[in-house]
Amino acid sequence: MKHVMYASVATLALSAAAAQAEQVTVFGPWLGPDQETVEKVLAAFAAASGHDVRYVGSDSFEQQIMVDAEAGSAPNVAVYPQPGLASDMAGRGFLAPLAEGTGEWIRDNYAAGESWVNLGTYANAEGEKELFGFFYKVDVKSLVWYSPENFEDAGYEIPTTMEELKALSDQIVADGETPWCIGLGSGGATGWPATDWVEDMMLRTQPPEVYDMWVSNEMPFTDEKVLGAIEEFGAFARNDDYVAGGAGVVASTDFRDSPKGLFASPPQCYMHRQASFIPAFFPDGTEVGADADFFYFPAYAGKDLGTPVLGAGTLWAITNDSQGAQDLIKFLREPQAHEIWMELGGFLTPHKGVDSSKFADAPTAKMNEILLGATTFRFDGSDLMPGAVGTGSFWTAMVDYSGGAPAAEVAADVQASWDAAK
Amino acid sequence: MDNIAGTKSSLTWAVHISAAALVILWLLPTVGLFISSFRTADQIATSGWWKAPFPSVQNLTLRSAAPDTQREAGGLFVIEGNLFAEDAREQAPITVYGVSSRAVDAFQPGETAELRKGGTITVQANGDYRMEHSEAFTGARGQRVFVTAEIPPEFTLGNYDKMLFDPANVEGMSKAFFNTLTVTIPATIIPILIAAFAAYALAWMEFPGRVLLIALVVALLVVPLQLALIPLLKLHNSIGIGKGYIGVWLAHTGFGLPLAIYLLRNYMVGLPKDIIENARVDGASDFQIFTKIIIPLSFPALASFAILQFLWTWNDLLVAKVFLIDASGETTVMTNKIVELLGTRGGNWEILATAAFVSIGVPLLVFFAMQKYLVRGLLAGSVK
Repeated sequence: MKHVMYASVATLALSAAAAQAEQVTVFGPWLGPDQETVEKVLAAFAAASGHDVRYVGSDSFEQQIMVDAEAGSAPNVAVYPQPGLASDMAGRGFLAPLAEGTGEWIRDNYAAGESWVNLGTYANAEGEKELFGFFYKVDVKSLVWYSPENFEDAGYEIPTTMEELKALSDQIVADGETPWCIGLGSGGATGWPATDWVEDMMLRTQPPEVYDMWVSNEMPFTDEKVLGAIEEFGAFARNDDYVAGGAGVVASTDFRDSPKGLFASPPQCYMHRQASFIPAFFPDGTEVGADADFFYFPAYAGKDLGTPVLGAGTLWAITNDSQGAQDLIKFLREPQAHEIWMELGGFLTPHKGVDSSKFADAPTAKMNEILLGATTFRFDGSDLMPGAVGTGSFWTAMVDYSGGAPAAEVAADVQASWDAAK
Repeated sequence: MDNIAGTKSSLTWAVHISAAALVILWLLPTVGLFISSFRTADQIATSGWWKAPFPSVQNLTLRSAAPDTQREAGGLFVIEGNLFAEDAREQAPITVYGVSSRAVDAFQPGETAELRKGGTITVQANGDYRMEHSEAFTGARGQRVFVTAEIPPEFTLGNYDKMLFDPANVEGMSKAFFNTLTVTIPATIIPILIAAFAAYALAWMEFPGRVLLIALVVALLVVPLQLALIPLLKLHNSIGIGKGYIGVWLAHTGFGLPLAIYLLRNYMVGLPKDIIENARVDGASDFQIFTKIIIPLSFPALASFAILQFLWTWNDLLVAKVFLIDASGETTVMTNKIVELLGTRGGNWEILATAAFVSIGVPLLVFFAMQKYLVRGLLAGSVK
């Protein structure tokens, strides 16, 4: 009830502020069903504020927003799939800072609020730090997908520690089956699923401070600790017994196709580590929670690093300042803005004020619990690294590594490209 | 002397076979795409299109009816039905079946299998099954049954249906279709108009620096258009055109002009000099020569360039995205609409294949209507 009150009071305040209705253009990476959903959220904003809101999505968002900003025809609000690009654009003066008080609000109302503020704070053109990005819609990456009925048939238990996970993998091999489906193929972005693996392994073998140093390159890529995390990934992906089709096909299997092995008859694999969006690529009619389920990619019991969670998220930033754009960012504070998407599924949020009974299904609610229950939350490291590394040499290095190149060699390549990018 | 004109070479059959082989090779991707457009996403992911026309042995995971459909008869709880019917599939002969993912081929049809949770199931070759248990079946879902069956080829019109008749798409798709025409028709006509004038001047009018100008046009052919995207958009914004139809027409015109001028000029320069000189002697002005003599004679070259430009603007995504599609979402083109159908993370091959055949329609019409000019026009300027 309190939420409803809060929402309606805020809605009133909004409509009062928006005496001047204007067109607010939003540009983002979402297409297809996601686009329909975000349009519903924006329609709620339009209804509350009186503004005329337009959304356009693009599969080449990263390139297009840059062209538009450079040429001076940027939309009012841009939805960034990763902070690296937003930080880049803030530094070149293409972003407008968010209204004062937004930072405090995030600190107070988001779980692990401080880290969300830090992720949205960048140096502006003058080099001063300001809050530019508002996080809305979060993905959890530390998930292992499996088929509960296949686990039942084989009598396997869900592992709760990394040691158990490895023991389970060995047991599956001993039973004559294959434990993992891993696919790194993604067109021009081939290799990115492996960077998630390495980041997850980094969080499970090293304290978060080391992770931060790695992501900011205070610690070189060639450090023993990074090599260790890469080798941890290799222990899964480069083990012919562990991977469906053998280690040789990891790099060439498309990430969108690889989870289908879970549902093959007989199953080609039993587990698949991938982010919360992957059910979109399960075979038609697969019901999450019944045909497919997930568990938290566990941490080592022996390392005392808590339950780290790797995630990603989209941040909204103002690329063309106007009253309407500021109103939209303000609207995203409303629980209502989060609940609309929650009800439609595929949406996680660190907002503490939302009504968690509104999650579309039990699995999403369970995912959000994993998110809120994290002792450490870290953002996808490759998204935070400079573009040449995070969306370039890191990907290719992981492809090379899964193809058999030594970890030290590929890490040296990444470090070299990082030095060149500085 | 067996190569004189008029005698048939003894190797004609080799020529024919290799021509046929080349045609087949060249058509192969298109055929594959065409077949894929009639298959579902799951079919595309699991087997190649070349297997689609034949029956295939498949391992299917089917499911019995849920326990809430059970009935009690003589102390036994029974669930009956047909596995294929439960899954809304065509019936197919079952060769073996299993009830555990670990042993999908453990039982022959007609044999009775023990269920892990208690009870038994008997599956017949036609998919009829009967589950029996002395206690009530529990749980929310039916028993999984893994069957191996020979499945006849399956094709679907669902992709075309989704693309063309899905109410969620249909409005956007038809709007995009007309938007695309709004972009392509002027973007084809404007450059031809300008290029024809320019080509005439470069071919038949004497003025200082003409050769340099021609060299410049040829040099412009090698400038990649990607280079000009940001500066040109900046220019459009600063002179107030912004993003929109005028901007995209101008951009297509600019990017198309070098090739158009080059092509037309080479054709026009090859026209018989006598006709033009005669006309001059008779007192025709340059404009009269252009409209009365050059244009009718250059028709093949004009038509062939029109086809090229039309195809290129019809299929264009990059220029449209940069110069036309703004954040207000008012304008979109077919190519952009197709990309949107692919979804945030792409990978929907069935939509891509279908979209290819839907968007190919208009260019095919244009091409077949004008192709006789294309062949003649491409020879333009090559023979005097």
